[in-house]
Amino acid sequence: MSASLLRIWTIARNTLTEVLRQRVLNVIFLFGLILLGGSTFFTQFSIKEQDEIKFLLNLGYAAISLTGLLVALMGTAQLIPAEIERRTIYTVLSKAVRRFEFIAGKYFGLLALLTLMVLVMSGLFYLLLLVKEPSWIYEISHGASTLTERQMREIQAVQQQIHDPHLIQVLLLIWAKLALVAVIALFFSTLATSTIFIVATTMLVYLVGHLQGTARDFWMASKTFTGWRADALGLLSTLVPDFGAFNIVDEILGGNKVPWEYVSQTLLYTGIYSLVLLGISALIFEDREL
Amino acid sequence: MVHDVLKTDEAVFAEDLTKSFKLQWRRGRLMALDGLNLQVKRGEVFGLLGPNGSGKSTTMKLLLGLIKPSRGRIEIFGHPAGTMEARRKVGFLPENPYFPSFLNGREALRYYGGLCNLRGSALQDRIQELLKLVDLESGALRPLKTYSKGMLQRIGLAQALLHDPDLLFLDEPTAGVDPVGSRQIRDIIMGLKERGKTVVFSSHLLEQVQEVSDRVAILNLGQKISEGTLADLLTVPDQVEIRLKEVSPEQEAKVREILRAQGFAAPEITRPQRSLEEFFISVVNRSQKL
Repeated sequence: MSASLLRIWTIARNTLTEVLRQRVLNVIFLFGLILLGGSTFFTQFSIKEQDEIKFLLNLGYAAISLTGLLVALMGTAQLIPAEIERRTIYTVLSKAVRRFEFIAGKYFGLLALLTLMVLVMSGLFYLLLLVKEPSWIYEISHGASTLTERQMREIQAVQQQIHDPHLIQVLLLIWAKLALVAVIALFFSTLATSTIFIVATTMLVYLVGHLQGTARDFWMASKTFTGWRADALGLLSTLVPDFGAFNIVDEILGGNKVPWEYVSQTLLYTGIYSLVLLGISALIFEDREL
Repeated sequence: MVHDVLKTDEAVFAEDLTKSFKLQWRRGRLMALDGLNLQVKRGEVFGLLGPNGSGKSTTMKLLLGLIKPSRGRIEIFGHPAGTMEARRKVGFLPENPYFPSFLNGREALRYYGGLCNLRGSALQDRIQELLKLVDLESGALRPLKTYSKGMLQRIGLAQALLHDPDLLFLDEPTAGVDPVGSRQIRDIIMGLKERGKTVVFSSHLLEQVQEVSDRVAILNLGQKISEGTLADLLTVPDQVEIRLKEVSPEQEAKVREILRAQGFAAPEITRPQRSLEEFFISVVNRSQKL
């Protein structure tokens, strides 16, 4: 490993240690409790098993996405300003550490945390589904030793829902969305020191990113939308990432098959966008007075 | 143009160093440093003095490349300040240093060592050596948030020395430290000087500056108002001090008589006193030995 990569690794590891020791794990634990409590509550309605699982899947992955979003937003927004405010940045950047190494190390440290969070939370969630699986099968079979063809089909459907390999696509897409939110927050944190400003502007970009696809389709359909307005919209859709692309998660959770090609393209788009924005952030930070 | 390192023995070379900060809301600019010329020779202990707001910390930040000058040039061992080559040769202890509070002393040194590309047993040995030097072997596993001010300064000094730099910038290294800790830091500075290291430090404790510095510069309102060796600056040109040991009252009267006979109308003969610091340290050391 080159000296530069080793320094990035050192900063990333230290960032991960910092966030892990700052009670982030408590958030995950809280998530687990809410999920467990929630699932027990919703099963009281005794709806059809397959709908119940579908509901649980939506609830679980929404919780993973939301918790991750909060950590990506709040965690990243504080990464650089906190170092400047505490003046710990002086002892780092007075050594032979390039500023882009510092930025990259901070980002990859937080990305490692987000990866860990998504893995732990989804692992917990899968465990919950495995624990509940026998009870769902019992609800269908009523403990009978011989099963009807309908019961067998229903049991098979339940098992398919729980062990569906396409759920990995959901995890990858959630992870990519979080990585994108984090890199946007990091970009704003190289421009400003106020955490509120960083969170607010990142949220704004997130919302615009969600709406831009719909807005583009709507305006492009109207014939009057031409000239500079069309150019401005084109520029906006280049600058702001299309968060609407991640809504495909709902399709996967709804049982529809989404090709791996779409997922890999979205991941590639996220990777390129993140690297470019990371580069711009490093350039801005290079000239920042500390 | 890069200063020719072979032709000069200067560790620090600053010419016409000027720094102004833009004030918010179009309130103009604040001149923090105005046309400072500074040369520090290799192996010299150089004291930067001045009241609060005189530009000492700004000068240090400029020499480290943490901020960029509005005008002028700076070289560290012939390399432009802030470049990787310059920073490899420099160690820095900021004023009121803050370190990642979630780490203990040893972990913090391991982190900073990683940033200096130190690894494995070389890093472990260096950490052990420095913990011994700054007298923190027993507190190495305590979290930094439980450290006293003096301990923080000493761990700060250790992190600045990790990569065995040739030049050290110490910003108020003894601020808020008790006299015993302050003496320890002074002894470390003296030890560094003996090993041929260059030290540039700022302090409000003039007696301490006098004890360790070869040369000093006094800043006020961003300008250098005086510079020179202590001998040049402090010697009273037309007076002589004679120190005699074990003088009886009769001998003292005789000396007075001789001096009067030589035309010195009112010679001043007093009993020399120890400094309060010397007295304090001897009392504390004696009580610790009991």
